[in-house]
Amino acid sequence: MKRLENLKDSGDKAFVAYIMAGDGGLDKLRGQVEYLQATGVTAIEIGIPFSDPVADGPVIEEAGNRALAEGVTLNKVLLEMKNWDFDLKIPLIVMTYLNPVIRYGAERFAESCREAGVSAVIIPDLPFEHQQLVEPYLKKTGITLIQLVTLTTTENRLEDILGAAEGFVYAVTVTGITGVRDELTQEVKEFMKTVRSKSPVPVYAGFGISRLEHIELLREDVDGFIVGSAIVKAFHDNKIENIEPLIHAVTQRNPV
Amino acid sequence: MTKVKICGLQELEHVRAASTADAAGFVFAPSRRRISIEQAAALAAELPESVEKIGVFVNAGLDEVLEAVQKVPLSMVQLHGDETDDFIRSIPVKVVQAFSVRDIEDVKKLERSIADFVLVDAPGIDFRGGSGRTFDWSLLGGASIDPERLIVAGGLDAVNVGQAINSLAPYMVDVSSGVETEGNKDADKIKIFIKTVKGDSMQQTTGTVKETGFFGRFGGQFVPETLMKAVKELEAAYTEAKDDADFQADYHKYLKEYVGREQPLTYAARLTEAWGGPKVYLKREDLNHTGAHKINNAIGQALLAIRMGKRKIVAETGAGQHGVATATICALLDLECVVFMGEEDIRRQQLNVFRMKLLGAKVESVTKGSATLKDAVNEALRYWVTNVEDTHYLIGSALGPHPFPTMVRDFQSVIGRETREQILDKEGRLPDVILACVGGGSNAIGMFHPFVEDESVRLIGVEAAGEGVDTARHAATLTKGTEGVLHGAYMKLLQDENGQVQEAHSISAGLDYPGVGPEHVHLEDIGRVEYKAVTDEEALASVIKLSRLEGIIPALESAHAVAEAEKTAAAMGSDEILIICVSGRGDKDMATYAEKLEGLA
Repeated sequence: MKRLENLKDSGDKAFVAYIMAGDGGLDKLRGQVEYLQATGVTAIEIGIPFSDPVADGPVIEEAGNRALAEGVTLNKVLLEMKNWDFDLKIPLIVMTYLNPVIRYGAERFAESCREAGVSAVIIPDLPFEHQQLVEPYLKKTGITLIQLVTLTTTENRLEDILGAAEGFVYAVTVTGITGVRDELTQEVKEFMKTVRSKSPVPVYAGFGISRLEHIELLREDVDGFIVGSAIVKAFHDNKIENIEPLIHAVTQRNPV
Repeated sequence: MTKVKICGLQELEHVRAASTADAAGFVFAPSRRRISIEQAAALAAELPESVEKIGVFVNAGLDEVLEAVQKVPLSMVQLHGDETDDFIRSIPVKVVQAFSVRDIEDVKKLERSIADFVLVDAPGIDFRGGSGRTFDWSLLGGASIDPERLIVAGGLDAVNVGQAINSLAPYMVDVSSGVETEGNKDADKIKIFIKTVKGDSMQQTTGTVKETGFFGRFGGQFVPETLMKAVKELEAAYTEAKDDADFQADYHKYLKEYVGREQPLTYAARLTEAWGGPKVYLKREDLNHTGAHKINNAIGQALLAIRMGKRKIVAETGAGQHGVATATICALLDLECVVFMGEEDIRRQQLNVFRMKLLGAKVESVTKGSATLKDAVNEALRYWVTNVEDTHYLIGSALGPHPFPTMVRDFQSVIGRETREQILDKEGRLPDVILACVGGGSNAIGMFHPFVEDESVRLIGVEAAGEGVDTARHAATLTKGTEGVLHGAYMKLLQDENGQVQEAHSISAGLDYPGVGPEHVHLEDIGRVEYKAVTDEEALASVIKLSRLEGIIPALESAHAVAEAEKTAAAMGSDEILIICVSGRGDKDMATYAEKLEGLA
């Protein structure tokens, strides 16, 4: 929690990296987290594989299927994280669909997240209206439930959702699923400005962020970026070093 | 299941947290939790109708009690003093009489109570009323108290309440100080206490989850934020259209002029004779244009899409019947149509694939997962998320986020409404049993819905048992599934212990879905509808039976209902009436029949 709260004070643009837990085997997760931390990311989203990831595009879905084939489960990921003994300086965020949480038990999930050192949780198919299912338990264990807003979020909803936002707001930059994209429109820029003007917490842009041009287009209008598919793909292709320029373009004030 | 009372509520925040409890207690006796009648009335107004409002008194005057009953209003009164039996009889609502139990003598007093309920508590310390100390439950061991009258209080909290329930199985547990922090109620503790008693499911939260779109505790709108606007717009548009006479007239015109409704309720004389039990009637959805009930819903939703200004339609299909219905209606109304269909289903249902293409629809093959209906829904949802501004998702079963399950049910209810009129016309009375097959459950809910209030009518939904419900290859979600969230709704699922949704199997492409419509789960939960499962083999045998006895070749899906009907009929008399919904005809299944029933001719 503290680590998450520090984000808003730092003044730098944040880079949140998403990885699929267990893509290539759960024993890889620790190394990936250590690598990303060393590269200077602000926070890491750890994705839990799910059989029916309807909010995700093909890159993350396939990574999830590979992880499922490795026998990765929510329980195993949280146990793995609980056992980490290296010096973790950045917040870890668990991103999971709702069903594994319900099956695991929302209260037990909150408790296990706490034990695993998780700072925040993102559940893409748990809409604002139904957050009572999980949120009270997370709150009790001091874990933040991250709110999502999208281009299609109506004005009234936006106010309601932002009113409940803690940690940061996940602003979805496309109408669509996660994935690498060529273009982001001016509409997105305007949307980010609106969200940022109303949000009590930092606003991070995610879904479809994969190129330096995306970063440049939105840099002035957001507090940070969330990059998923591009990182998942790079890890899978063993070319993670290719992502470093993207990370540094965000986190270093004077990018090369 | 043991009920929960949260007692000593004083603040709105805590009343709201207690809204999923079964009862809320307001204390009018001297206590630090005491409130006025006016305060209690304001708090009670925030509670759902279903929550009992209980006023707690100690030796109050009858006038005071009656005033509170009327003004709050209270649905129950709880008495902690030395009130007489006459006093109790003068109270117009149900009465809980509380007893401080220290020894066996106290237990005897409690046994003599004439009140509707008796509450046992540890002896009070400062004030009479709850003391918050744990009661020695073993004292009640020998008491002859009906557990249905027993309310247990006294030092309960989320940790020890399980023990109280296990040892006494009381009607209700009553908690006050156990859900407090430093002498004040704690909203989180209240929620957790309720959850502990009511089990780790959504049961405890649907009251705090916004109620719209829930059937009991099932349903909801579990979709990504990107889709919320579309789902809310659809909800608003449907709510408006439903009550618009022009929309309804348009819809019914198409049902009559284009689909060919109403469909007959055919008396099956030879089947009746062969089974030797009830009179058997068949509701003939197989006679609809395109060959199944699916078109009832496709027309309704397509008209709604046009009303919303959307001229692009995306749909999923399993057996292809819904895909064909959607492609048909899109051709008729000049709408763009994309249908997602699992690769495995495309293989099994080639005729329907060709029909969709002939009608001008784009058929997208889904190769992911089990390459069947579930995966087709995933892809259709992804397509909708991406194209939500100009596209309507025309879902084919009573599944998905609210308002889909309600809307699909309403469009399919024409089946049950016609059936009801027809049977009253033919027999002058309601049937004894109605059966329909259940995959997602749209023909079944459409058939059942107009009969749900008729308690004399036994309703049976028939799922696909595939190779058997005890094998790994079946689609019997209600029989074998567990609660979870998929495709926008809280329902029952075939899933593993980690919440990963499993593949469903059935010889029938229209039934192999690992979830089931939320309203069905609710109807099962409240015991209104029975759900049975029929194997591939049994269904195939029924295909032959219906074909040869009645000259009706049913769809594989519908054959499941026929198979279960035969079993049901065996226990029925000749003065009884049984109706089977023949949801579709078997043309699409000819390849399967030719393969599986080879040698029959």
